[in-house]
Amino acid sequence: MILGLDVGGTQTDAVLIDENGVLIETKTPTGEDLLETLRVALEKTISDVDPRQIDRMAFSTTLATNAIVQNNLEKAGMIVSAGPGMDPSWFAVGPSYHTVEGCIDHQGFDATPLSERSVRDAARRIWNSGIKFLGVVTKFSVRNPIHETQISDWIGDAFSYVALGHRVSGILNFPRRIATTYLNAALYDVHLKFSNALTHILNERNLEAPRFLLKPDGGTMALENCSDLPARTAQSGPAASVMGALALDGCKGTTLVLDIGGTTTDMSVVLNGVPLRAPYGIRLGSFRTLIRSLLTRSIGLGGDSEVRVGNDGSIKIGPERKGKPVALGGAVPTPTDAMVALGLLDTGSRDAAKAIMENLGIRLGLDGRATAKYILEHVAKVISDAARSFIDYINSRPVYTIHEVLREQKIEPGAVVIIGGPANQIGRFVGKAMGLPYRVPPHFGVANAVGAAVARVTSEITLHADTERGTVIIPEANFQKSIDGRFSTDDALTLGRGVLRQKALQSGADPETLEMFITHRKTFNMIRGFSRTGQNIRLDMCIAPGLIPGWRRSP
Amino acid sequence: MLRAVRRTGLVFFPAFDWAISPTHPEREERLLYTQDQVMEEGLLDVEGLVEYRVRPARFEDIQRVHFCIPNEQTVTTESHLISAGGCLVAADAVLKGEVESAFALVRPPGHHAKTVVHGNRGFCNINIEAVMIEYLRDTYGINRVAIVDTDCHHGDGTQDIYWHDPDTLFISLHQDGRTLYPGSGFPNESGGPNAQGLTVNIPLPPHTGESGFLYTLNSLVMPLLKKFEPELVINSAGQDNHFTDPITNMNFSARGYAQLTARLKPDIAVLEGGYAVESALPYVNVGVIMAMAGMDTTHVKEPNYDRDYKPQPSNITEYIEKLVTELKGLFLEGKLEPTHYEAGEIVERSRDIYYDTDGIHERQQERVRCCRDCAGALAIESTSSLGRHILGVHIPRRSCSACRKTALSWCEAGSRGPFDHIYLQDRPQGIYERMK
Repeated sequence: MILGLDVGGTQTDAVLIDENGVLIETKTPTGEDLLETLRVALEKTISDVDPRQIDRMAFSTTLATNAIVQNNLEKAGMIVSAGPGMDPSWFAVGPSYHTVEGCIDHQGFDATPLSERSVRDAARRIWNSGIKFLGVVTKFSVRNPIHETQISDWIGDAFSYVALGHRVSGILNFPRRIATTYLNAALYDVHLKFSNALTHILNERNLEAPRFLLKPDGGTMALENCSDLPARTAQSGPAASVMGALALDGCKGTTLVLDIGGTTTDMSVVLNGVPLRAPYGIRLGSFRTLIRSLLTRSIGLGGDSEVRVGNDGSIKIGPERKGKPVALGGAVPTPTDAMVALGLLDTGSRDAAKAIMENLGIRLGLDGRATAKYILEHVAKVISDAARSFIDYINSRPVYTIHEVLREQKIEPGAVVIIGGPANQIGRFVGKAMGLPYRVPPHFGVANAVGAAVARVTSEITLHADTERGTVIIPEANFQKSIDGRFSTDDALTLGRGVLRQKALQSGADPETLEMFITHRKTFNMIRGFSRTGQNIRLDMCIAPGLIPGWRRSP
Repeated sequence: MLRAVRRTGLVFFPAFDWAISPTHPEREERLLYTQDQVMEEGLLDVEGLVEYRVRPARFEDIQRVHFCIPNEQTVTTESHLISAGGCLVAADAVLKGEVESAFALVRPPGHHAKTVVHGNRGFCNINIEAVMIEYLRDTYGINRVAIVDTDCHHGDGTQDIYWHDPDTLFISLHQDGRTLYPGSGFPNESGGPNAQGLTVNIPLPPHTGESGFLYTLNSLVMPLLKKFEPELVINSAGQDNHFTDPITNMNFSARGYAQLTARLKPDIAVLEGGYAVESALPYVNVGVIMAMAGMDTTHVKEPNYDRDYKPQPSNITEYIEKLVTELKGLFLEGKLEPTHYEAGEIVERSRDIYYDTDGIHERQQERVRCCRDCAGALAIESTSSLGRHILGVHIPRRSCSACRKTALSWCEAGSRGPFDHIYLQDRPQGIYERMK
């Protein structure tokens, strides 16, 4: 059996599943204390289960997100070397940010050596302000991390933890590398404490199965391996839902997934069983990062959004949420009240819901029933318009080769899968507004917990080989070696596969079922003067988000 | 969060799968390191810098500008259509008001492509700026346009296309033609009978540096623009004046390009040449993008700038000051004596044109009707070493009825002549046809 648990903003969902489907599903209000919430949810879900029967546990938590949003981060200092370009002071972050001289160019050459003295000066100032955690980032460190490792060698011992920029991701984006490295340094201690406490809770209950945390890219990684780069586990909630929809529905063809909640609706697209990923990384509060995530868009509209009718008879729903629906004792009308008034949903006081619909109807010139229907149609229209604009956005992403311009494969969903609380009530309205068939899978209310439970380990590598410089590097795997002019695209593939396999296994992947994708592959001849001096090989590979082997869609 | 002062569109199309030939400067690798640098700087995360997806231009977009011999299919590849289309996307973004300015960072380039196209000249097949400008004129009703060509090579193609157009000011700053391809672009080339003084060539001496370029811009180019009062300023933004460029001899820098762009404030910039793919383009492009967005470019420079950049020698400074004074006299102070032509007079010129990339020789005989009311009826007879003999007739935008009549009569006469093909470019009616 597998335990899956997703901590949401207001509710924590947990499931216990086996190959036949969902056995137990529970909901627990999310409290102030994350560990306490986890303890209660566990108790509710597995109190009657023999812990030895559980062979996998996966958690999607709000730990990192909350720490960032509530500014509950450890103080972390930064030492940054930029070289020419944008002014590095524009990316200053944290309480003690220092730039030092030095420059690695785009090919990875050491164009201006580091100044050891200014590095030691910066470190001293950080240390003197009582800071124990350090982030070190240099421009183009993913091409050559020498300056980052030099800084770490010189002064790293003085700190409890040093986060290095090139380990975060192989993607080129210096400002995001700075932000992400800072978060990893600042979250290190918070995460370590959480991880130890969670381990303790699980051990107490004799739960000894492998433990995983969900990441925002819809993949998992082993709990004991998260501590180095803890920011990777932030904001996994939307990914949990998408993976749940994938697990419960299968999402064949091109599928639009809608997760309709109380205050927001999240949308994403699944292409033949593989969710689309965002190009760079997730945004956490004010930080743009290099943390891989699924491509999702969120709008401020859900079952409990405020419904307002303007004097001109126009209707506006969301993005505000002002307490409970009227049917449940609240003061402000919501789409949930419209569902209750129409008899689509049996909760709270139907009379109260009907009364507020009648009341709103006066200004619309409609009776209560027509008002309720009008509200749900309007919700569906807003969601449908937003989904359309999301798809247009996906289709308008730039491409850089003639082949891609001419091929022009447009994403066009053939169906909508709807999950989340009001999925059943609002589904047909949304399906109609979009002009697409819609499906509401079983257990749609706990799809997120199911998603966490069955998401497999994801991993990726960014390989860059330059035979002129004589180097191949895979920064996020801490791999670098010398090559000669004979190193070929085939050699790159063989190397990439091996390193990705190793990296995935370290994250807890199942060695029997590693499915690797090549996401980008291009080889350029390097010409200097009029003759070839080398090859520039770029290869990105990943283990895309997907379901663990053995998971069968529940009947 | 970082914000652009001016909302700026970026159309990036590096054509990673296209080259003239495997070792040609115009090859797949050309914008690879530029892309690396732009990505690493995180420029696309700047609020107000908007990246657009390219679309291919249509043959009609090309027909407004060129006579393609024998036809568009033969002299273009997909890459040319997409490069030109990238400029159209940039133009749309600006004219629709989505952005204040836009930079089409596309390849292959276009400014050596003249009105008649038999093949590739100076790495160019079709003139992507001209295709964009004529599209703008038809789509958005733009009339007066100024082009400032800052590529190191004389923009002879653009000059040829706008030679007769009184609504287009063409200014080219380039390395003196006595020392560099294509060998033209001297001050006495100043526009046809109907557009005298609207072609301004500024041949700068080899080793011109930051101070020389910026001095020329401030003392000559900006006043010329002010006087012409264009609705749009287009920058043919070649980057081969760089001190590391392998095929030129100038002494410009990324910092200089950034300052030039910030001062010129083009509505649309279009990449032209620039072949120091590792040592110049990554830094120049970052500088140009940031300058267009109105950002501070103080920290933009090449890693080897402090060591390798040599300021402009004083004899070059003196030469440039003298040149600029002379050109100011001609073009700003009325010393350029216009040649007098009678309205209705037909003026002819004949030329030999060499297509260096494709090794084609072309012989042209051109006639234009002198006119005070429009750009004048234009006919070009062209024979190339490929063996084709053609006639191209152009009825200008906003043509007067006399010029239309003249042009149509030339077509009529031509149909009895010895031509393999006859082309008509009827700009007012939007009819572009090969009549034979």
